[in-house]
This record gives sequence, structure tokens and C-alpha cells, in this order.
Amino acid sequence: MQDKDKTRRKVLIGLTSAVGLSGLPFAATPFIAAWNPSAKAKAAGAAVKLDVSKMQYGQQIQVSWRKQPVFIVRHTKDSIASLDLVLPKLADPNSDQIEEPYKGLNASRSKSPEYSVFSGVCTHLGCAPKYFPEVEPKPWDATWNGGFFCPCHGSMFDIVGRVFKGVPASTNLIVPPHMFEGSILTIGEDKEL
Amino acid sequence: MIAIESVFKIIFKGIILVVLLFSFSEIFAAEGGPCKDYGECDKFKYSLNDIESLQSGASTYINYCYGCHSLKYSRWGRVAKDLQIPEDIFFENLVFDKSIKPGDLMVGAMPEDSVNWFGVQPPDLTLVSRYKGDDWIYSYLRAYYEDSSKQYGVNNLVYPGTAMPNVLMSLQGNQKLVCKEIPVIARNGGEKRDDLGNTIFEKKCGFLEVEEGTGALTKEEFDKLIYDLTNFLVYVGEPIKATRERIGWYVVFYFLVFTALSSLLYREFHKDYNREEAFK
Amino acid sequence: MTEIASKLFTWVNTRLPIVNTFERHLSKHPVPSKVNFWYLFGALAAVTLIIQIVTGIWLIMPYSNTEEQAFSSIEYIMRDVDYGWVIRYMHTTGASLFFAVVYLHMFRGLLYGSYQKPKELVWIFGCTIYLAMMAEGFLGYVLPYGQMSYWGAQVIISLFGAIPYIGESLELWVRGDYYISGITVSRFFALHVVALPLVLIALVFLHLVALHEVGAGNPEGVDIEEYLDEDGVPLDSVPFFPYKVLNALVAIGVFMTVFSIIMFFFPEGGGYFIEMANFEEANPLVTPDHIAPVWYYAPFYTMLRAIPDPLGGLIVMAAGVAIFFVVPWLDRSKVASIRYKGIYSKIAITMFGVSFLTLGYLGTVGVTEVRKTMSLVCTIIYFAYFLLMPIYTKYETTKEVPKRL
Repeated sequence: MQDKDKTRRKVLIGLTSAVGLSGLPFAATPFIAAWNPSAKAKAAGAAVKLDVSKMQYGQQIQVSWRKQPVFIVRHTKDSIASLDLVLPKLADPNSDQIEEPYKGLNASRSKSPEYSVFSGVCTHLGCAPKYFPEVEPKPWDATWNGGFFCPCHGSMFDIVGRVFKGVPASTNLIVPPHMFEGSILTIGEDKEL
Repeated sequence: MIAIESVFKIIFKGIILVVLLFSFSEIFAAEGGPCKDYGECDKFKYSLNDIESLQSGASTYINYCYGCHSLKYSRWGRVAKDLQIPEDIFFENLVFDKSIKPGDLMVGAMPEDSVNWFGVQPPDLTLVSRYKGDDWIYSYLRAYYEDSSKQYGVNNLVYPGTAMPNVLMSLQGNQKLVCKEIPVIARNGGEKRDDLGNTIFEKKCGFLEVEEGTGALTKEEFDKLIYDLTNFLVYVGEPIKATRERIGWYVVFYFLVFTALSSLLYREFHKDYNREEAFK
Repeated sequence: MTEIASKLFTWVNTRLPIVNTFERHLSKHPVPSKVNFWYLFGALAAVTLIIQIVTGIWLIMPYSNTEEQAFSSIEYIMRDVDYGWVIRYMHTTGASLFFAVVYLHMFRGLLYGSYQKPKELVWIFGCTIYLAMMAEGFLGYVLPYGQMSYWGAQVIISLFGAIPYIGESLELWVRGDYYISGITVSRFFALHVVALPLVLIALVFLHLVALHEVGAGNPEGVDIEEYLDEDGVPLDSVPFFPYKVLNALVAIGVFMTVFSIIMFFFPEGGGYFIEMANFEEANPLVTPDHIAPVWYYAPFYTMLRAIPDPLGGLIVMAAGVAIFFVVPWLDRSKVASIRYKGIYSKIAITMFGVSFLTLGYLGTVGVTEVRKTMSLVCTIIYFAYFLLMPIYTKYETTKEVPKRL
């Protein structure tokens, strides 16, 4: 075979394989994209709205957003003021280790100084921590100042969802995007974000 | 080579035979068109890239049809997005129930007991363009006529005995079935004339004619309204239709290039392969 | 690095016959050096099978096999799932083209005697694949639970009712309900996505194993094994890889072009690939105006209708498919290819082709008196082709087959 023919053959093999292989990502696209959340899943996971003005001070409620618990806590002025007391116990008081949408805005970590909004999924292994607002000695902490305690593996969080030092969970509870329009809280959507 | 020719000859003869067989007009006897008394359905050519037409069709649908006919496989937000209507404008002007969210299905506004009103449950129309066809919808909505023997005083040439009243009558006007004197067509295709050269007329019935001044729209405006409405129904029947046809060109082009290259490669290998070497 | 790789390869190869298999079935597998386009449909059928399996797996995920949700889950796939429409249209287009390709593949077999000794088993496995495909296609068509799914299934399942004595209870047993309900759909679903695909894959494997044992045919009907070189390789052969693979690649290119034209521009195939009535949810109380089978069953459906008696129709229809299995023993010709067969064979296969196409057309349209007669005539021609084969192939004068390709 002559060199000229050899080159021609090589070029054709190269071109055909290149064109053939370049089609693969396109062929794979529908199959990969089909696993994205569908319009139905997205609709079911749309933002939820609720009126929080009826909540009592110190009360914690749980709402479901994307089938996951989200905790809302309405704080008293005293409890916000007492947040400084737990500072020495916290692992990451300023949420430097996580992506937090409203960092430094309010002591409550939310868009409102009065309400805290955070995910009720423990950052350790996904259990739901329980709310213990009382300031009294607890079996897991003799100087308990109110907060969340996870029954699964004993992780502790303060009343705005910040994690304690020396517990299995390593990061603060996650704050989802949210917004307040008057007393209407929307979880899962923030027009300003 | 003779052998190959004979095979092709057989195929060719086969094709001729098939054509001959099929040319028996009896075999193709008409089966009664889908447009019934209307005759041939009017041809409809969709234009899914005409966003304005789709928007106007959506607006007509929601204002005149959605009260009874749901679009239960379609989502509000998707329609707004595909029709390039900003979501706030869309929801302000076209969504009357304020509790509706963009991701919600267009399940309709009809109360449960609607069967009693019309004798049948008004059907969901998401897929009507697919099981009835766009020609049919376009003809049907324009084929209402006055018929006092019916419950709502109207009947339809495309769908005789339809249970649906003509909700667009205020726009179209009062359409009637009329008889007309029309020229007789001669065998040569021209108008038939008598010995004196006058055109011969005959009376034919079954023509649709709108009583003048009874409708808010002219015939052209009304036809355009129905065109847009049908266009919207074609969109809603298959929201990705325009996308599909657009992507299609690229895919077909890709495979043509692939075919060309691989056939060059095949011929390259074929022309000079050396049997003895090939098996080494 | 290359040393480790080659060591690893040797390690695996001594435990798994990679090189041997590659050489035996690809790089050194001899195939006839001269064949025509008719010999490419097998490869295309394999491609389509792969497409059907992959898209099928992806369709199982969002599909719902309940009476309430089967229909709407199809619309969910078409609208709510990202690119779900691509996957679904690939599957529907693939189904029709699978049959188109297999019909051409089978006709090639009849044309060039691809069933003759020693290829009987290859042919029989092929016929079984076709049978399994028919079942697979039917079951799949029921799944969207549209009007055509429902009424098509109604007609087919009612066929069981024509069987004497056990018919009616068999019908009920197949449905598992008093109408074609979610119960029926969900058992059809299991068969469509698990049982029959397994059978199909196994049969395709056997079809190929048997083929590689006896060797591929050619349009001349020449036995290439007669003239071997000193290594025992047929003189009129080329290695499967790369020569035939490249040839198949061209065919795949053409095929995929046609595939994408249909899929992106005419996915309903004018109502032949996806029937219009199937966009309406199944309604057991309203029969559509015109029930027609999908095009690939149409010829056999016409045979069924041509016979006035239900049981007779069923038998004729079943015989229409079954008769393919015995073709190897019906053909008494000394030659394989139509090129060297006599004039009677040529007339017969032409008549057969024409009658098959006519039957197909008649199956998709309504019945009239003339069409009924036509159906009967075509059914008779169809069967005459097979039943008279022992006579006309034996007593006609054949041409001399060349020694070499």
C-alpha cells in the first residue's frame, strides 16, 4: 500500500471515529436528563407558604418542604439575648464552614430577627433533632440553655440551629432560602436571592 | 450480474403489480371523512413558532373554553414559559383562581355535577389535536349553524348532534344553513351554459352563512381566532413539537455526515484489501 | 505501565477466552466476500433491539402500570420528564422499524434460501424470534392504555374465546378481570419488560451461535467452504472485522437517518406507528369508529377477517405465522438463491410479496365486499406460495450455480 493511501485511510478512520464518538454525549443527554427532577417533582417541591404571626413566643413548629422537615422557631427577646451564653459551646458560631444564605444578617440566622428557619435534618446522619426550649439541666448537658437534641446520636444544637462542639454532627443545621412578606413566610423561594 | 438484474426485475414487476392492484378504485372506497356532513375537513397548517398566534389562542381558550374543558396533562407555568409570557403577567391576566401555583396542572374549573348540564362530561382537551386532528378542530369550531330542534339551538356539520353549545356565537354571529343558486360546472371544468350563452344555475343546499351584523368579528377575524385557538391546541397536544422538529434537523444532518464518512471508509478498506493479509 | 496492562490482560485472557472469542467471531470469522444490501438487515435488527432495550429500561422508570395512571403516565413522560419524549418516540419508532427490518430480513431469507441445509436451525430460531416479537409488540401496545390499546387487546384476547371448550375461561384467565383492567395491564407489563425480553435475547444469542457455526450465506447460494486456502479459510471470504463491520456501519448510518427522520418529523407515522385513537384514554364503554391493528400485524389481521368463522380465522392466522417454521422442508430445490431457481419460483415469490403487501394494506382499512374478496384471494396466494413450494421447486428447471462467488 502506498503512503498516500495509508494517510487517507488514517484520516478517514480518525474522522469517522471522531464523528461517531462526538455523537455519544448527545445520544446520552436524554437518558441522563430524564433522571432530573421532573416537572411533577418540581411542582411538588415548590415553595411552601405559611402565616407565622399566630406562633407563640418560644414555640417551634415543623413544616414539610420537599418532604423534608423544616423547623421554624419564634424567639423571645430574652432568648435572642441569651444566645451569647452558648457561644463557648459552639463549634461554628458564625456558620463559616457552610454555605449560608443570610450570614451575618440576624442573630436568628434567618431574614427575620424574630424567627429562625432551618432544616430539621441532623447534619450527622439525617435524624430529626428534638426541641427542648427549657433552660434547665438535662441528662445530656448540665448547663442546657435551650436548643435541639438529636435522639439518634446525641448531637446538640442551640435554638437557632448551630451545632455544639464535640458532638457527632459537624455542621450547623442548614438554612433554606426563604422570605417574609409581612407575616407570610415562604420557604424555598427568595425573590431577593 | 444477470442474476442481480433478474432479482430487481422481480421487485420491479412486483411494484407494478401492487400499483395495478391498488388502482382498483373500489379498494380505496371512501370511508366517510372525519368531518361528516361538512365534507372534506378544511386543511390546517400549524405554525408553532408564531408565538403571538399561540398567545392569542391560549387567551381565547382560557376565556371561552377552560371553564368547561380542562387541560389536565398541561401545567400553567409550562404554558406561560413556552408561550413566552412573563409569569406575573400570565397569572394576573389568565389565571383566575389565585391559589394556583405555576407547577399546577390545568385540571379545569368545572364542578363535579357538570354531566347533568350537558348530558356528557365535557372532555379534557389536552390531546384533542392528537386524537381528532387539527383539521377537524379547525373545521368543527367553524361549522356551527342554527338548528332550533336542538337543546342549545345549534347543531354542527362536522359533529352532528354535538352536545356543546356554540360558545363563540357572540363573536362569529348567527350562522345558518342556506341554499344557493350556483353555476353548474361542465365536464371541461368551466361553467355550463345554455344555448343562449347564459350560465346555468342549480340550487344547492348546505352552505354555511353568517347572518350579517350578528357577530362581533368579521369572517376573516373569526377564522383567525379559530386558527390561533387550533394552533394553541396543537401546541398543548405536544408541547415539544417545535423543539422536536428543530432538533430533528441537526440529528438528521449528523447521521448524513456519519453515513458519508463511514461509506468512504468502507470503500477505502474494500478497494485494496488483501485476502491473505486480512486473515493474518 | 504497558507491562502491567499486558500482564493483567494475559491474566484475564488465560481465564476468559477474550482473544479466542474475538478472533473466532470477529477478526477471523470468515464471511462471504460478495453480498448485497439484503444481507445488512440482520445487523440493523440487532441495533434496533439494543435501542429498544435501552429506551425500554428508561421508560419503565416513569411509567405507571395501574389502570388509573397508565395513560397519564405516558403524558407525564411526554411532558414532565426532561427529554422523556425523545425516549418514548425512540421506542415507538424503534418498534415499527424493528418489524420493518425483520420483515426485510425474513424476505431476504426466502429470496436467497437462507433456510436451506444446514441453516435450518438458524431459520427456526429466527422464526421464533419473530413470534416472540409479535407477542412483545402486542403486549407493549397495551401499556399506554389508550383506546387502541384497549380495543386492540380486546380483539386479540377475544381470539382465545374462539378456542372450543376452554375459550371463554381462557379469556378470563388471561385478563384476570371481566374487562381489560389494570390487572391485565400490569401482568402484560411484567411480560413485556422482563419475560419476553429475556426470551428474545436468548433467542438472538442462539440465532447467532447457530449462524456462526454454519456460516453466513450469500445471494449466489454458493457454498464458500468448498474452496479453502492452505489455512483452511474459504477463498471467497473476508474477515468479519473490519470489512463487514464497516459495511454494517454504512447501513447503520442510513438506517439511523431514516430512523431520525421518522422520530423527529413523523413520530405517529401518519397514524400507522402511533394510532390517533391511542391519544384518548381507554374507555370500555365506547368503541372507536375504526379499529385497525398497527401496520406490522395488519397482514395477519386481514387473514383473520377474511375467514367468516372465528375459530377458522384464528387457525388460518396462526398457520400464517407457523408455516414459516417448516419452509426448510418445503423447499425441494437443488439451488438456494432465487437467481438460479426456475421461473415458477420467481413467479411464486413475486405473488407472495404482492399478496403480503396487499394483505397488509387491507388490514389497515375498513371492510367492503370487494376488499373481503381481495383478502380471501390474497390469503390463498399467501398459503399457496408455501404449500405448493415442494412441487414447483422440485419440478422447475434451475440454472447452474457457479463454483465460486
